[in-house]
Amino acid sequence: MIWNTKDILLYFQEKKYIDTAVIPLLPLSFGEDAKQEADQAEFIPLVTALLEKQFKGRMMLLPPYTYFSTESDDQKKNRLNEWTVNLKSQGFTHVFLVTSDSFWRLAEDEMASELIWLPSIPMEHMDGKYKQKMIEDQVSQLLKIVVGKWQKN
Amino acid sequence: MSNQRVSRRQFLNYTLTGVGGFMAAGMLMPMVRFAIDPVLTAEAGGDFISTGTSIDELSDVPTRVDFSYEQVDAWYTSEVTNTAWVYLDESQNVIALNPTCKHLGCTVSWEGRESDPNRFFCPCHNGLYEKSGKNVPGTPPTAPLDMYETRVSDDGILQLGQVVPNTIAK
Repeated sequence: MIWNTKDILLYFQEKKYIDTAVIPLLPLSFGEDAKQEADQAEFIPLVTALLEKQFKGRMMLLPPYTYFSTESDDQKKNRLNEWTVNLKSQGFTHVFLVTSDSFWRLAEDEMASELIWLPSIPMEHMDGKYKQKMIEDQVSQLLKIVVGKWQKN
Repeated sequence: MSNQRVSRRQFLNYTLTGVGGFMAAGMLMPMVRFAIDPVLTAEAGGDFISTGTSIDELSDVPTRVDFSYEQVDAWYTSEVTNTAWVYLDESQNVIALNPTCKHLGCTVSWEGRESDPNRFFCPCHNGLYEKSGKNVPGTPPTAPLDMYETRVSDDGILQLGQVVPNTIAK
């Protein structure tokens, strides 16, 4: 499900079946990393959209968690942890964070949720067919991680 | 050379009729073309989308066929890719099932779980469907998988149309 009017109504009807939340994490700045961060903002939503399409009935795809990469480390982590705590109290037992920002890789142990880190792939020179194929390959890996996590509990 | 004389009046009559005829035709032709245009396009394509998969590639085992089309959402045009599971039944009819789970809309896949051969499996809440798309009782789905209208073009390429309720599940 996506965070939109139609799906949120369905969510309230079928709440007991939806126990997984996905949050894309997107950094933002106008420094020297801007280009690379913009790549991520193109790549990550495509990945999470396809992931949601596969697992629509059990997964809520939330709007991206966005932050300036110049914000302090603690602020980024604390605010995100608050999201997670909120979601868990709403009955989302599984919270997946999907990102290409290497900051989270180092902070992984402190996060209260499952971090899925993907290397960002710049797609500005890719044609449609190839782009699609590549996203599908990436997502097929993600599917396994998610199903594995579901089966564990 | 004919020795019949053409009077000035006759000459003007012939030329005016000729030129006038061309002008009338020039105006009417596009109008007629516009008027019958819907009839012509309906024959050419309809709502069927070509999958690029040849019918020779199909067998009695469901295979995944992806097809894309352009969707316009307000001012935003995007290419949408859909999937169908396609196989041939006993009488060689093409069956194309829509993999959207009838429970809450996840995507099912053929033999998606090793413990359930010859069935469609939904990874979200362990829903199962028979090969015909019929939902297995005792699993969350309450209805059989939908089907696509199918058509085969003259050169043997599979075309898929609208999603319709399942007609083969018994």
